[in-house]
Amino acid sequence: MSFIKFSNVSKVYASGDILINASSHINLEIDEASFISFIGPSGSGKSTLLNMLGCLDQPTEGAISINGVSVNELNRIERAKFRGENIGFVFQNFNLLPVLTVFENVEYPLSMVQDNILKEERTKRVLDLLSKVGMLDQKDKYPNQLSGGQKQRVAIARALVTNPKIVLADEPTANLDSASAFQIINVLHKMRDELGTTFIFATHDPRIVQEAEDGILKNRQVVKKD
Amino acid sequence: MSIMKIAFRNLLRFKRRTFLTGSLIAIGVILVIVFGGLATSFKESVIGVLTNSSLADMQIHPKGYVESIDNLPLDISLNPHQLNKVAQVLDQNKNILAYSPRIRFSAMVSNYAQTSGIRLTAVYPEKENATCVGLAKRINGIKSYENFVKKGEIILPEVLFKGLSLKLGDEIVIIATNKDGAVNGVPLKIAGVIAGVMGPSGKDGYIHIDDAKNILRMEETDISEIAVHVKNFSKLDSITKEVAKGLGAMIGQKHEHQKMNGSQPMAKQVFEVHSWDQLAPFSTIAQMIDVLIMMVRLILISIVLISVMNIMMMSVYERINEIGTIAALGTVPRKIMYLFLFEGIGLGVFSAIAGSLIGVGILVIFAISKITLNFHGIDVLIAPTIPWGAVGVSFSTVVLISIIGSLQPAYKASKLEPVDALRHV
Repeated sequence: MSFIKFSNVSKVYASGDILINASSHINLEIDEASFISFIGPSGSGKSTLLNMLGCLDQPTEGAISINGVSVNELNRIERAKFRGENIGFVFQNFNLLPVLTVFENVEYPLSMVQDNILKEERTKRVLDLLSKVGMLDQKDKYPNQLSGGQKQRVAIARALVTNPKIVLADEPTANLDSASAFQIINVLHKMRDELGTTFIFATHDPRIVQEAEDGILKNRQVVKKD
Repeated sequence: MSIMKIAFRNLLRFKRRTFLTGSLIAIGVILVIVFGGLATSFKESVIGVLTNSSLADMQIHPKGYVESIDNLPLDISLNPHQLNKVAQVLDQNKNILAYSPRIRFSAMVSNYAQTSGIRLTAVYPEKENATCVGLAKRINGIKSYENFVKKGEIILPEVLFKGLSLKLGDEIVIIATNKDGAVNGVPLKIAGVIAGVMGPSGKDGYIHIDDAKNILRMEETDISEIAVHVKNFSKLDSITKEVAKGLGAMIGQKHEHQKMNGSQPMAKQVFEVHSWDQLAPFSTIAQMIDVLIMMVRLILISIVLISVMNIMMMSVYERINEIGTIAALGTVPRKIMYLFLFEGIGLGVFSAIAGSLIGVGILVIFAISKITLNFHGIDVLIAPTIPWGAVGVSFSTVVLISIIGSLQPAYKASKLEPVDALRHV
């Protein structure tokens, strides 16, 4: 059985009286510890696919199963808990919380979402991850004191701190220069190899496409990479 | 890291805005505490002047007397037997400090050249002094407070004293009609001058009760009223009820059927008992002061509600993307709601603490300063005690209204769909 399975998934948005077909009859199976990118031009449905994978959005039609759980049948609160326990997010604009330090931003999912972990364990995990992404020496800084590449590394640490089964990254290198982008890709690769986490990207950054295994969105449907 | 810590940090994120809103709430709290403290102090001071100078805390009259009190009727009175009964009830009550029987009547005062009307209260001076402890202090010219009016003497109101161009020690004549219609006149020596307790227009004088009996040709002492001083003024209502019950009397004049006390039917009732507020027009002003304090509290509630709602709605609107982020990370809606709720409550609590401290500080300065205001001869001491009850009420009100004001924005934040919130720019 596949780790992630999309069965005939479609998503239609209503914009006033107009219906927009964002994803159409997608059938998709992804194995654990994959490193996948969804590639396609703007409006091809990459973000919609990612949102449905991340339980942020519900399909209009079809079924989504993640690790054996039919996530499209979960209610709002159950979806939030599922996200907290199973999915990590890396956003294009980093989305770090400005009132929290680097350490606290990474600690947030452990203290506010998985609140049953002891403080010592939380601290150990956060410091360990900050060390892995090379941000340990910046742990007491606030996001506005960091560069774009540093912010994205903190965001990656935050996405991984709960040991999620999946990390979803929407254009994670879009706001980074080449050097920072390669650093980030290397960090993600390393994490996949070390932790066995499934990484799924929505991107049109060729640097990631080159590294990723497959997945191209064409006419709002997933096709394999050549 | 806790929700409270994040909420607190968010409050400090926009320091100027938080400071301004907090200041507005704090000013509201200061206003309530200081206005409430000063108004209550003024009210209590005036009540103190009234009860200690003339009214006493409570009065007992023969039934029907208060209805005709403007005429000071002599035919509605308590005979010695009835007075004894009252004395027995009052003596047995541990909450009664002193009482003073009075004969009140209208008379004419003449300096042999001019004549004017006067309202006389005839008293046993030592009993009156024990009951109305501030009375003697208001009389100029006397040598002893305990025996402020002796037989053959009169304490004249200032307005008549000046109007008739009299001097202390001068002789005047008091002419009065008794209950049988007989007119009598008695010369008395002016022993002192009293300023009217409700202003310079007062025409109330004092004489010894034996002189009243002489003027009115009473064979036995028929008493118009008994002024009563209680130990604990704050328990006046319950003491009034106790006394009324002991006398089988009704309290006040209105709602007689509801306020019947004791077992006697109305027809057989001899006494009626009134607390000071049922006799003095100032009680209406006192009630108005209470209403004003309530109005100021309502203004405070409005300030807090609008301020907290405004700042929290702005906060939610500005942080929609951030809400989307924490929701995406798995924060359940309940915690998102708490986050914003705690921000609003935090703003209210810190502002209320600051406002309460400053408000109490201002009242302490007033209390130390002991400012005395003179209103037409009445010295009103503005020395407020700290109204801890009012401070507590104001604090609780601010916190409660902060919760109410934050609820809607916090609820809105918790209901945002993460996917929509993340798209928000």
